[in-house]
Amino acid sequence: MDVSQYLEIFLDETKEHLQNLNTQILELEADPENMNTINEIFRAAHSLKGMAGTMGYKRMQNLTHDMENVFSEVRNGNIKVQPEMIDVLFRCLDALDEYTNSIQESADEGTNDNEPLIKQLNNILKKVSGEEVQEAAQPAAVSNEPEGSNEKWHDIALDDSQIRVIMEAEKQGKNVYGINVVVQETCILKAARAFLVFKAVEELGEIIISNPSAQDVEDEKFDKDFTLIIISDYSLDEVIKAAGNVSEISNVTGAPLELEKTKNYRPIEVKEETAKPATEAANTAAPAKEDKSVKAAPAKAEKKQTPGKPVVNRTVRVDIEKLDVLMNLVSELIIAKNSLVSATDQEQAGNSGINEHIEYLESVTTSLHESVMKVRMVPIESVVNKFPRMIRDLSKKLDKKMELYMSGEETELDRTVVDEIGDPLMHLLRNSADHGLESAEVRAQRGKPAVGSIFLDAYQDGNNVVIEVRDDGNGIDTEAVKNKAIERGVITPEQAAGMADKDIINLLFLPSFSTAKQVTDVSGRGVGLDVVRSKIESLSGEVEVKSKLGVGSTWTIRLPLTLAIIQTLMVVVGGEKYAISLGSIQTIEDIAPNEIKLVQNKEVIHLRGTVIPLIRLSELLDVESARTEEENLIVVIVKKGDKLAGLVVDDMIGQQEIVIKSLGKYIKQCKFISGATILGDGEVALILDANALL
Amino acid sequence: MEQLNTISDLSALSNEKKETGETVQYIVVRLGEEQYGIDIRYIDNIVRMQRMTRIPKVPAYLKGVINLRGEVLPVMSIRLKMGLENDEYQRATRIIILKLEQEGNVGIIVDEVKEVVTLGEDQIEKMTYDSKDGKANFINAVGKHNNELISLLDLSSITLEENV
Repeated sequence: MDVSQYLEIFLDETKEHLQNLNTQILELEADPENMNTINEIFRAAHSLKGMAGTMGYKRMQNLTHDMENVFSEVRNGNIKVQPEMIDVLFRCLDALDEYTNSIQESADEGTNDNEPLIKQLNNILKKVSGEEVQEAAQPAAVSNEPEGSNEKWHDIALDDSQIRVIMEAEKQGKNVYGINVVVQETCILKAARAFLVFKAVEELGEIIISNPSAQDVEDEKFDKDFTLIIISDYSLDEVIKAAGNVSEISNVTGAPLELEKTKNYRPIEVKEETAKPATEAANTAAPAKEDKSVKAAPAKAEKKQTPGKPVVNRTVRVDIEKLDVLMNLVSELIIAKNSLVSATDQEQAGNSGINEHIEYLESVTTSLHESVMKVRMVPIESVVNKFPRMIRDLSKKLDKKMELYMSGEETELDRTVVDEIGDPLMHLLRNSADHGLESAEVRAQRGKPAVGSIFLDAYQDGNNVVIEVRDDGNGIDTEAVKNKAIERGVITPEQAAGMADKDIINLLFLPSFSTAKQVTDVSGRGVGLDVVRSKIESLSGEVEVKSKLGVGSTWTIRLPLTLAIIQTLMVVVGGEKYAISLGSIQTIEDIAPNEIKLVQNKEVIHLRGTVIPLIRLSELLDVESARTEEENLIVVIVKKGDKLAGLVVDDMIGQQEIVIKSLGKYIKQCKFISGATILGDGEVALILDANALL
Repeated sequence: MEQLNTISDLSALSNEKKETGETVQYIVVRLGEEQYGIDIRYIDNIVRMQRMTRIPKVPAYLKGVINLRGEVLPVMSIRLKMGLENDEYQRATRIIILKLEQEGNVGIIVDEVKEVVTLGEDQIEKMTYDSKDGKANFINAVGKHNNELISLLDLSSITLEENV
């Protein structure tokens, strides 16, 4: 079977199963008696094993097999769930994760057998039932004793060409065996097992015929056993052993074939010239099988030619409903285009319905864009799901009791953002676990519950997605940060005296700043927070922190829903067009010149109780404003977090959806220009980054 | 259509005899009264002067960005970079799109594209570096062709960004 085409699905599903196992084992740890969890684990481990086996990843299969045995004993009530056992199981999952990554990169599972883990698993089994388990660990018990007259291969009806091939082979001194393979009754993926047996046997010889046929076996159209007749240079024992090594095979029997005993045997004269070469005959006898092994060979060769290269493209699994919507919109788009074409024809005849059609086209393209964006959206679940496990490990490592509470895992973000957000979140969680939460004694003194809480909440807020990491720990000690900053020479003591708490906390985001008194394994190398911030800013997001000493801190990450296409307000400054992201605009105001006040020689306006600094874009962009001093000003109020500023523009064109284009690497000096876009008439307009202006 | 015209102009110009040995093709452009040669291997395209969008707060030689088939492309003035007078856009003014490995594509403005010449090694004279002459820094050799001298532009130094 050519399995390379299934590699992507295999990887996707393996990752899902691994994630599932991680989650379930965590649950099992919390509630060792829960039968549902145990069953779920068993099922996941079993599917994983089956998949690995089908794909021919033996090491992965072996490991999952032994894990499954443990789960099976747990399910049968023979083993009680122990903390040590959970640890071993988690390590197994890590090992499986390694295999998966290796497969993803090079289509090869690597060479790590993970012997110690397998041994530990077997030890768990041994502890309970001694020898009995030994057998369970190797259910593929091999026996080569023929069971009475169980020589089913003699019931196979051979046709002339097959008989000819067998006789030819015997003439050449090759061995012809009949093999009967019995699959365990509990085996779920019988076809996969059979396939592996076929594969193993084919390595040693040539399968002449199978009963049921290879195709039926593959389609699982057999009860619990199947029979093969093979030609081989190897001894019968070797062949039986090869077949028996496949797991979940309960029994393999075999004997040399006695041609005379077969069902419709009649002697055929073997003429040298008519005797087909063995391979050819086998081809006709079992075309399905032969086909596959031929296909498998080049696939294998191909894999070996490109070692080290990632074999899998990143994919997004898409809900079929989303695609349906997309498809409908595309058909609507075609209709809209057609009506536009016919409207233009009518236009020449003096009929004007074109505006109507253009409006229709516009509404369709807008919806089309929205749904394409939705297709790109994936829930952040895939990223945050690994965190409970991480917190559990951290809890052990740091010897602090803590619990992670997550909400809003279903919140969706653009795939590119989701891929990138994992590391920053991990940093923040580790920070909370290591620096945030106090040791048990301090918590007790402060009258806090012994188990520290870390919260991860995600939700959508307008065009943004907000992810909050919150803990009920110590909070940020601004004094300590201040002292550290002075010590490091980041700020002078005089500067420090005048700094608000908020500004001091922001110092944490500077490169190489860590307040942990000791550098630990977990955090404190001072590479954390500045990396977090730069990563999030590279995703056009922002990160903020609020903290109260002794009560806890909240880290808030705000990310745009999507990166490629944004809604903007087009404005004119000095005859040039600029786009401002709608997401950062709060209001647009009409301000009379006499409303402008001066504070510290800077222009501000007083708007509904807030003092807002004014930025005259014409000055910033070095152009002449087209407006006179006396005219009212158009002020676009932009916000970043809780900071506001008023941008003075000459004119507004209106709301427009734009596709963001990079200015290229060549132009990088300009901080507040975040990119460019091409307008409908082909003109290039620049995008003002309001965040950089504040 | 614009681009097609200019490219066919160009190929019409390139009926030059092939020299034996190592030869390099140069596109000869005019800047003011002087002729400059640009190695044809670095040229992606030649387009007519078109509407440009100014970028604020960048060095003056960066004239702005243009829309070239849906891509936003920076355009610079080699006149300003070399310390000559500012460009005057005329009918013959062209933007030569250079492909650079590191920075991506960049357009440069020239007064006129004249012809394509093929220069053999013996027709190229390497320039000795003279640090006093600012303009000479942008030229790495002089080519001789039909009794005329063509200054061969050193593209890497022209497109090198000045850190302001």
